[in-house]
Amino acid sequence: MAFEPREEQTKLIYDELRIYSDEELNNYTEEELKNFKCKHDIPDLDEMEKGPWPSYVADAKREALHRRNLAEDRMLIHRDVVEDLLGQVQLSFDEGETHWKHGGIVGVFGYGGGVIGRYSDVPDKFPSIAHFHTIRVNQPASKFYDSDYLRTICDLWEFRGSGLMNMHGSTGDMVMLGTFTEQLEPIFFELTHKLQQDIGGSGSNLRTPSCCVGKARCEFACIDTQDMCYEFTHYYQDELHRPAFPYKYKFKFDGCPNCCVASIARSDMSFIGTWRDPIRIDQEAVQAYIGGEIEPAGGSHRGRDWGKFDIQKEVIDRCPTHCMHMEDGKLMINMADCTRCMHCINVMPRALRPGTDTGVSILFGAKAPILEGAQMGILTIPFMRCESPYDNIKEVVEKIWEWWPEEGKNRERLGELIQRQGVRKLLEVLDIPPMPQMVREPRSNPYIFWKEEDVPGGWDRDINDYRSRHKR
Amino acid sequence: MEEIKKAILDFAETSKKTKFYFKDIEKAVKKVIPDAKPREIKKAATALINAEKLIYFSTGSSTMYGLKGRGQTEDH
Repeated sequence: MAFEPREEQTKLIYDELRIYSDEELNNYTEEELKNFKCKHDIPDLDEMEKGPWPSYVADAKREALHRRNLAEDRMLIHRDVVEDLLGQVQLSFDEGETHWKHGGIVGVFGYGGGVIGRYSDVPDKFPSIAHFHTIRVNQPASKFYDSDYLRTICDLWEFRGSGLMNMHGSTGDMVMLGTFTEQLEPIFFELTHKLQQDIGGSGSNLRTPSCCVGKARCEFACIDTQDMCYEFTHYYQDELHRPAFPYKYKFKFDGCPNCCVASIARSDMSFIGTWRDPIRIDQEAVQAYIGGEIEPAGGSHRGRDWGKFDIQKEVIDRCPTHCMHMEDGKLMINMADCTRCMHCINVMPRALRPGTDTGVSILFGAKAPILEGAQMGILTIPFMRCESPYDNIKEVVEKIWEWWPEEGKNRERLGELIQRQGVRKLLEVLDIPPMPQMVREPRSNPYIFWKEEDVPGGWDRDINDYRSRHKR
Repeated sequence: MEEIKKAILDFAETSKKTKFYFKDIEKAVKKVIPDAKPREIKKAATALINAEKLIYFSTGSSTMYGLKGRGQTEDH
């Protein structure tokens, strides 16, 4: 089904929205850049520009020079914001401690997230970064933009902010780095009213949902991640903007188990596209891979002599569950043992494809290490149908959102609550039976216990009757 | 709703700390109105934010609430 936006969309035309002329945008030469000297002495940062890797310092210097050459009335925050930023980073390197103060009251009216307050604790030395707030801009699903949009937002940020951005932050959002408090509301107005753009999540909120490129460009996508991400972003707007959770909560959507947005490692609730019928095998293409007519892994290892493609060594022996073998020249897969690791499909994409009976696996509790160390998501729902408007999946979301906000402590992630109360409790909340696969080591984590109502006759027994059959 | 709002404001005015988590608000409201639902409490808190009686205080990773005018409530 073709994509249908929820609001009427206006085509953004840069020439109508632009703030800067071409001359202003291209206002320095490479020669000037070579001779550029930051107003602060920044020897350690200069050092970071050396070596083979690109450095943010080189980008920041371009921006600093660009701002230096703009007319004073063409920027609404200080011209020197980038140079002061570099100066403060150098000071932090010198002293081995940060000079940022984090957090505060800043935000836009009615929103509890999307703006992260940041202040310099040495504003006398670096007045241009006395405020240096971050704004998270909710990226479109799979980060598809057109250049009119990107140019318009860059102009806006040059005019009302520092001009420095992350494309994109690890949250998925477009991250606009550094502005003053008085600019927040005007920026929000421009974003929402002119660019039809919302800000993202931060704080104890649902964070900006994020997805892989999905069916837009990927043949492996088993679910429409973009549609799902768009739907969940709209449906759960209140949770995104008005914080009432114990801590952050993340949804991420991966179209297949290749997990390109790493939902399995980074989201409290990870959605991974999967299939439950057999992997589709084109035996002729398998032979073509064996015969060297098709390059393995889409040619991603070309350019070096790795020797002839060896299906036994490079595919069959690498299967983690040993579910593949060759029989009479044909590749056979025992699907009951397949864990959807995707290795065989990635190596021979023209011979093997995911099945057609597709849906989603749902995992819970992944997080980065703040408390208790990093955790991967627990595969809790191996397969669920995944079709718009996703009511069956929203039901699961809401069961978790009845439990975690109630039982979770302040600043406790879902994964930590699962650890504290046990997987059994999670299964009770979701009303699903335990699976043997959930027990990794039966003798060390036997967390499934019978409850009285599960046992015929309950716990009551006649001790005399028992003793008649069992001697003391 | 008005009853919940009042319970929230009473708590915000008298709590030991000037910034508190949503769970603290919930606990305080439930003491006064035991059958108040979390969603109703959230709606009431949002209404108080929109009326500029409460404010959000965010560190970026977690969010707290506060009473406008009590403790640090202006930009620093």
